[in-house]
Amino acid sequence: MSSIFFRSPLTIVLALFLLGFSFAAWNIGSDAWLLFEPAGNYDAKRMLLVYSVLPRFVTALLVGAGLALAGVMLQQGLRNPLASPTTLGTSAGANLALALSLLFFPSLQVLGRDTIALAGAASAACLVLAIGGRRGASPLSFILSGLMIGLWCSALSAVFILINDRYLSGLFIWGAGSLALQGWTVPLSLIPKIAACAVVAGLMVRPMALMELGDAGALSVGMSVRKVRVLAIVVAVTLSAVITSAVGIIGFVGLVAPAIARLAGARRFSQQLVWSPLIGASLLLVTDETVKFLSATTGAFVPTGSMTALFGAPVILLLLTRLRTENRRPLNLAQGPARSWHMPHFIGVLFVVTLIMAAIAAILIGRTPVGQWEILPVAEWQTIFPYRWPRVVAAFSAGSMLGAAGIILQRLTGNEMASPELLGISAGATSGVALALFTVGAGGLAVQLGFAAFGALAILAVVLLLGLRSGFSPERVLLAGVVLTAMLDALIGFLAASGDPRAMMLIGWMSGSTYLVDEMSAISAMVCTLLFAALVLPARRLLSLLPLGREISQGVGVRVPVARALLLVFSAVMTAAATLVVGPLSFVGLVGLHIARELGFRAALSQLIAGSIAAGLLMLIADWLGRMIAFPYQVPAGLIAVLLGAPVLISILIKNAEKGQRRWLR
Amino acid sequence: MPQPLCLSRRLLMTMALTVPWSVPARAHAKTGGVVSLDYGLASTMLMLGVTPAAVVARADWQRWVVEPAMPESVADLGATTELNLEVLARLKPSLILTTPFLAASKPRLETIAPVKEFDVYGDERGALPASVAVTRDLGKLLRRDDEAAEFLAQAEATFADCHRRIAGLAAKPVALVTFMDERHVRIYGGTGLYQGTLDRLGVTNAWQAETNFWGFQTIAIEQMISLPENTHLMVFEPLMPPDILQRLDDNPLWLELPFVRAGRVSVLPGVLMFGMVREAMRFAELLTERLEQLA
Repeated sequence: MSSIFFRSPLTIVLALFLLGFSFAAWNIGSDAWLLFEPAGNYDAKRMLLVYSVLPRFVTALLVGAGLALAGVMLQQGLRNPLASPTTLGTSAGANLALALSLLFFPSLQVLGRDTIALAGAASAACLVLAIGGRRGASPLSFILSGLMIGLWCSALSAVFILINDRYLSGLFIWGAGSLALQGWTVPLSLIPKIAACAVVAGLMVRPMALMELGDAGALSVGMSVRKVRVLAIVVAVTLSAVITSAVGIIGFVGLVAPAIARLAGARRFSQQLVWSPLIGASLLLVTDETVKFLSATTGAFVPTGSMTALFGAPVILLLLTRLRTENRRPLNLAQGPARSWHMPHFIGVLFVVTLIMAAIAAILIGRTPVGQWEILPVAEWQTIFPYRWPRVVAAFSAGSMLGAAGIILQRLTGNEMASPELLGISAGATSGVALALFTVGAGGLAVQLGFAAFGALAILAVVLLLGLRSGFSPERVLLAGVVLTAMLDALIGFLAASGDPRAMMLIGWMSGSTYLVDEMSAISAMVCTLLFAALVLPARRLLSLLPLGREISQGVGVRVPVARALLLVFSAVMTAAATLVVGPLSFVGLVGLHIARELGFRAALSQLIAGSIAAGLLMLIADWLGRMIAFPYQVPAGLIAVLLGAPVLISILIKNAEKGQRRWLR
Repeated sequence: MPQPLCLSRRLLMTMALTVPWSVPARAHAKTGGVVSLDYGLASTMLMLGVTPAAVVARADWQRWVVEPAMPESVADLGATTELNLEVLARLKPSLILTTPFLAASKPRLETIAPVKEFDVYGDERGALPASVAVTRDLGKLLRRDDEAAEFLAQAEATFADCHRRIAGLAAKPVALVTFMDERHVRIYGGTGLYQGTLDRLGVTNAWQAETNFWGFQTIAIEQMISLPENTHLMVFEPLMPPDILQRLDDNPLWLELPFVRAGRVSVLPGVLMFGMVREAMRFAELLTERLEQLA
C-alpha cells in the first residue's frame, strides 16, 4: 500500500508543489497580507506583489504545464522518449527570426517580439514537417531534420551576433528565458492559448494511445499514423512557440516532466497526459522560486531558462541510462554496391590535387584592406603569409582529425550519426579548456591539450556507458551529445544575458574559429595530424574487423575490448586536439564518412583517408569563406561548416532513408 | 676563399626561402600610423589631433560614438571578437593601442607592431579618473603632451561649467538606463564612466545597488521600485524596440512607478558606455541641457 503511494505520480506532484509553494511563501514573506489591505496611494511592496510576484508565479505554472504537455505530445507522437520542443528546432528558428528582424528589419519591431518569434518558430517547424514528413513520416526523420534545422538556425544567428556584437544584447535575455513580469498580460494571454491546445490534446487521447502499437499495429486497426503524428507535432510546436515567444527559451522542462511522470508509474498515455503538465508546472515553480532567491541574494541577473537547462541536463543524462533498451542490428558501414575494396586511384589522385590547389588558392586569393578581390601581390607575401597559412593549415588539420575521429567512432558504434561533435565529445573538450582557463590560467598549449583531452575522454566515457546500455541507438547517443552541448550553451547564455562582454569572446571561440591560430599551433596541428595518421593506418585491419562482430574478430586473434578501447581513446584525443584549434561546433566530423561513401569508398582504409581529406577540405573552404564573405569582419569557420554541412547531410540522410536502408532505425 | 662564400650564399638562399613563412621582419618600415582597437582610445586620439590609421568596428562608429566624427579615410579592422589581422598587418602600423579585453590577441599583435595596452576599468578610482590618467599617458606616448593638457583642461572646464549650471537647479537624483527589451533594462552606476561623470557634476545616482565590473547591471523593470520616489529616469537611445515607451503603457507596474506617474522620464541621445573623457563630456553636456530644460 505505502510503496504504491510512494511510487505514484500524485506523491511526486504533491511533494513538488509543496516545495514550490513553501519557497514562494518564503520569498513573499509577510507581504502577503498586503493583498487584503485596501489599496493606499503608493505602496511599492503591494505593487510588486500584485504586478510582479503573483503574475510570475502563475506564469511559471502555466509555462511549465504547457511545455510538459508539448513534450508528452511529441514523445508519444514520435514514439521517442527523448523528443522535445527544443530538439525540433523551433526555439532556434524563433531566435534567428528575432536576430534578423533586429538587424535588418528594425521597422518590424513594431509587430512585437512575440509575433516575430512566433513566425520564426512556425517557419522552422514547417520546414521540419516538410523535410521529416516526406517519407512515411518516420519518427527518426523528424528528429534528425529537427536537429539539423535547429543547428543550422543557431549557426546563422551566431554569425549575426558575432558580427554585430553590440546590437543584440536584448536577444540574449530572451534566449536565456527570463520570467520577469510587470503585469498580467503574459499569463492572461497564455491561458486561452494553452487551454485550446490542451483541449485538442485531450481529444486525441484515443488515437495517440494507439500509437503505442507501433506504426504497423496502428495501421492495422485502421488509423492514419501519419495524420495523427503530424497533428501531435503541430499541437506540440504551437504550444512551445506560443510559450517561447512570450517568455523566451525555457529548456528541458518538456523533456524532463514526462520522463518523471513515466518513472513515477504513469504508463498509459492518458495518465501521462494528466500528470506530466502537473509535474512540469510544479517543477518550473520550484526552479523559478530558487532563481528568484539566487537573484535576490547575489544581486546578479539570473534568467530562469538557463537554470532549467543547467539543472535539466544532468537529469536527462541520468534518465538516458534508465531507458529500456531495444535490440538493433548494427549498421554495416561497408555495405552497398562496393565499386572496389581499394581506393579508386583516379579519385584519390584527384582528391590530393584538389586539396593542394585549394590550399594554394586559400592562401593567395583574398581581399585588399578596402575590400577589393586580389591575388596577393608578391610584395605583400612576407607581411600577409604569416596570417594566412597557419589558418589554412590548421583548418585542414583540424578538419581531417575530426573526420578521422568521426569515421572511427561511426565504424565502431555502427552508428552513422556518431560524430565527435554530436556525441558531445567536442563539448567535453571545450569544458576541459574552460576549466583550464579558470584553474591554471591560460596555460601553454600542452596544458590546454591535456585538459581538453581529459574533458573529451570523460564525456566519451559517459556517452559510451549510456550507449552500451541502449545498444547505441542513434537518437539516444545523439541526444546525449545535444544535451551536453545545450548545457554549455546555457552557461554562456547566462553570462551573455547579464551583458558581460567576455561572453562574446567565448561565443567566438565556441563557434570554431581559426582566428587565434599562430604559426606554432598550426605546425603543431599538422604534426598531430600526421602522427595520428601514422598511428591509425596500421590499425585499419581493426576497423574492418571490429564492425563484423566479436566472434569474427576474436577468431582472427584480436583482443576485442583492448582494441576497442584503444581506438576510442585515440579518437577522443584527436577530437581534443582538433577542438583546441577550431572549437566544438563544427559538423565536419559527421560528414567525412558520408562524403567518402557517396564517392564510393567502402573499405576501412580508403574510407578513412578519403573521409578525413574531405572533412579537412570542407573546413579549409569554410575557413576561407568565413574570412571573405563579410570582409573585413570575419566569420568563424565552424559556423560556416555547419551552414554548408547541415543541408548536405540532410539531403544524404533523406536519400538514404528513401533507399529503405534504415529499417533498423525503426 | 670561395668556400665560405659558397656556404654563406647557400645560407642566404635558405634564409630567403624561409623568411616569408616566418614572423614578419621588424626591419620593415612601419609608416602606417597608429591604430586603435578600442573606441574610447580612438576618440581620445582624435581629440589629441591624431587620426587613427584604422579602428575596430569602424562601420558602427556613427551609431555608437556619434561624436567626434571619424574621418572617412580610417580603415575598418572588423569586429572586436575577431580582428582582421591581415588588414592590420598590411597597414604596417607603427603602434597598436589596445585594452586588457583583447589580451588573448596580444602576442599576435606584438608581431605586427609595438602594442600599448591601456586599462580604464581595472582602476579602483573609477572609469573617469582612470580615463583622465590614460589620456595624459597617451599624450606622452604620441608626443602630444600639450594637446593632451589642453584637451583635459577643456574637459575640466566643461565639467565645471555643467556643475555650476546644475548646482542652481536643485536637480533630483537620476537613474540612467538602456532598454534591453520590454521587461528588462541595463542600469548604470558602480565605477563606470557615467557614475564618474555624475560625481563630477554633483548629481546623485538614484541606483546605489551593486553593478558589475564595467559599471552596469541588467535588471527587470520591477527592480526599479527600489529607486527613490523623487528619481528622474534618463533613458538612453537607441530605444529597443523603437516604440518601447508606447509599449510600456501596457505595463501596469511601470505606470505605477512614482517617477513615471510624475512624468519624470526623459530620453537622452546615446553615449558610448565604454568610452573615455570625450564621451564623459558628451554625456555631461547632454545631461545638463536636459536638466536645464526640465527645470
